[in-house]
Amino acid sequence: MRTKRKAIAFTAIAASTALILSGCSGGGAEGGGGETPETLTVATWVDIPPELLEQFTDETGIKVEVNSFADGASAQTVLRNGLASDGAGLSDLHLVELDWWTEMMALPEDWVTLPAVEDRWVDWKVTQGSVGDEIKGYGMDIGPLAIAYDSTLMEAAGLPSDPEGFTEFIGGEDATWESFLDAGRQFSEASDAAWIDSTSTAIQAAINQLPAAFEDPDTGDALPLAENDDVEELFTMFGDAAEEGVSAGVGIGHADWGAGFQARRWATVITPAWATGIIAENAAGLEGWRIANAFPDGGGNWGGSFFAVPAAGEHTDAAVELADFLTSPEAAVSMFLLNGQFPSQLDAMQDPAVSETANEFFGGQETGAIYAGLAESAGDKAAGGYRGVNFAGIQTLVMDGIRRIESGSEDAAAAWASSVAEFDALGLTD
Amino acid sequence: MTSQTAATRRIGFSRNLSRWDIKVSPYLYISPFFLSFAIFGLFPIVFNIWVALHDWDRRLGQGDFVGLDNFTWVLNQPAFWTALQNTFSIFVLSLVPQLILALIIAAILDQNLRTKTFWRMGVLVPFVVMPVASAMIFSQVFGQFGLVTPLMHELGWFSDVDSPFFHNRFLSHVAIATMIIFRWTGYNALIFLAAMQTVPRDMYEAATIDGAGRARQFFSITIPSIRPTMIFVVLTMTIGGLQVFDEARVFDGAGTGGTGQGGADNQWLTTVLYLFNLGFGDWQDRMGQAAAVAWLFAAVIIFFTLLNFFVTRAISTSTSKPTRASRLAAKRLSEKGRTR
Repeated sequence: MRTKRKAIAFTAIAASTALILSGCSGGGAEGGGGETPETLTVATWVDIPPELLEQFTDETGIKVEVNSFADGASAQTVLRNGLASDGAGLSDLHLVELDWWTEMMALPEDWVTLPAVEDRWVDWKVTQGSVGDEIKGYGMDIGPLAIAYDSTLMEAAGLPSDPEGFTEFIGGEDATWESFLDAGRQFSEASDAAWIDSTSTAIQAAINQLPAAFEDPDTGDALPLAENDDVEELFTMFGDAAEEGVSAGVGIGHADWGAGFQARRWATVITPAWATGIIAENAAGLEGWRIANAFPDGGGNWGGSFFAVPAAGEHTDAAVELADFLTSPEAAVSMFLLNGQFPSQLDAMQDPAVSETANEFFGGQETGAIYAGLAESAGDKAAGGYRGVNFAGIQTLVMDGIRRIESGSEDAAAAWASSVAEFDALGLTD
Repeated sequence: MTSQTAATRRIGFSRNLSRWDIKVSPYLYISPFFLSFAIFGLFPIVFNIWVALHDWDRRLGQGDFVGLDNFTWVLNQPAFWTALQNTFSIFVLSLVPQLILALIIAAILDQNLRTKTFWRMGVLVPFVVMPVASAMIFSQVFGQFGLVTPLMHELGWFSDVDSPFFHNRFLSHVAIATMIIFRWTGYNALIFLAAMQTVPRDMYEAATIDGAGRARQFFSITIPSIRPTMIFVVLTMTIGGLQVFDEARVFDGAGTGGTGQGGADNQWLTTVLYLFNLGFGDWQDRMGQAAAVAWLFAAVIIFFTLLNFFVTRAISTSTSKPTRASRLAAKRLSEKGRTR
């Protein structure tokens, strides 16, 4: 009995000492490190082709360990906490999504400035990945916007189901959100299914097309939502459509999303290039999903990510080398073939492996070529608008408003009013 | 002369040493707990006051001193009050059925069952499942295409909404309360079981001889005997139940990329989830406000825990007046003792 108690006491002391010690250590790592390390760690939520990592090991002798996350949000949380604790728990190299790029760059010194690589990326991708003149991230993929649709449901509703016919149906080359939603109203009359999975996703895409949605690019201050006519116009347009029932009210990531695909509850989904793989996974086993060749209001970009090197890492030089390697055009091509992420590298976009590979899930369509065309026609809009520190928060308020309309708790006018009231209560514009 | 003083000094030293041993050692023995508590418990609590009084950015850290501004800001947020209401609604919805179920399960386990240990371990299985894992499974059950919703629609309930559990405020509370009940009932049942086993068997025997049925025995002997344990369970449930977070966050599929922010209309936004959204969510610079929520909520919890404590204590002391059955049982007992 006594020895047992002693053992317990000893364990308790040992445990608490360990806790104290581990609390003090960590985060002591200073930047720099020209030596060649044995291993490098990469934090990512997308799959990296193993042969790519093997090739890097062959060339440099450095092993690469992948810290893989289930989704971008988990990777974001880990990165956020790591930066806030001076680099503790961070990997040598991190994949950063455009949607939370601004947040991670709050303190540019947290990140190693990367050497310029001439003519590798589309210009705006380099601009997005820079803070001032300093390049902080090497672009991996971009997210040209497209619309995926279920040709089976279209056919059942007696509407055009082939990609050309569908593209014409939503407005053709000059499609607007208005014409897209009108097509939805027409579809809703002929079908029991909803036109789109969620109008809150659609408004997010439309917000991505605005040059400065919520904040003043010069000062970074939030614009009063009540006077934000551009956003209100979008809100009313999507809100009215939601009220008329064109939306199933189940957006990407919602608990019901996968089941909704399997039950064929909606005909269209806003699909940035990186979402093609996610849709193929959730709609696994279903025939008939296709991608349309036009996008409302001339297209745009949603998301896309960067490889960036935390300055707190011990082997920053080697990590920069790995970032360079993983964002080479060749690497981008093999990423596209594995996950469907559309490359931001000019040479990779031209590569026949990207433009001419038939996508099995989307009925053999050459999705690479379609996204290349959409990225080109998006033009300046592809670069996306200004995002300040409050962008994500305000966007959530607006999207929640649309969700309230979708679920039937408020009509469009009331939902806008309550989103504005919530915004005002935050006191951002006082 | 000198050697003599050295000897006395040595005696003095060893005496001092043993005196210190008696006085200081106990504190050393218990110090690991207090040290780790000071670092991981007390320091964050005190530091939190500091954070609550400042503008605080997640990455850039401390900003200007703002006094009580963060507190007034929080009190002016409609979402804060909604979150408080939701928290209490979920708490009440989970507490009451949980208590009743746990008591019934414990009473059954207290009987002479075959393979006792198997059943006892069995009720603990839901507790072993990670809260997030069970929440994700339940969110599928309550989803639009899950187990419950199509059935409800068939019966004509809430058929005007696609996904009533993600829409209706009360139903979302019921769903989240179900997850909590699923997880905690077995745990509480075991605590009740431990208490029930300390009740003298003689009382049951006596009651059986007097002709009291199982139900009567349960209400007149078991329940009054385990009252102190019930107070303990209710208190811990109050503290734990008010802090509900995991279930609410994962309910609509966060973790797989969903928003996890408590619903578009804040239907299932709980106070701790609100705190989390402020401090670690979309906003970069609301750590101070989040700290203020923590303090306001701590005050609320302390208030209700005290209230609960006094109410349950009042109940447990006021019923010292014996019921007829227990009086009879006691009489039997004493007679039994006398005949021996």
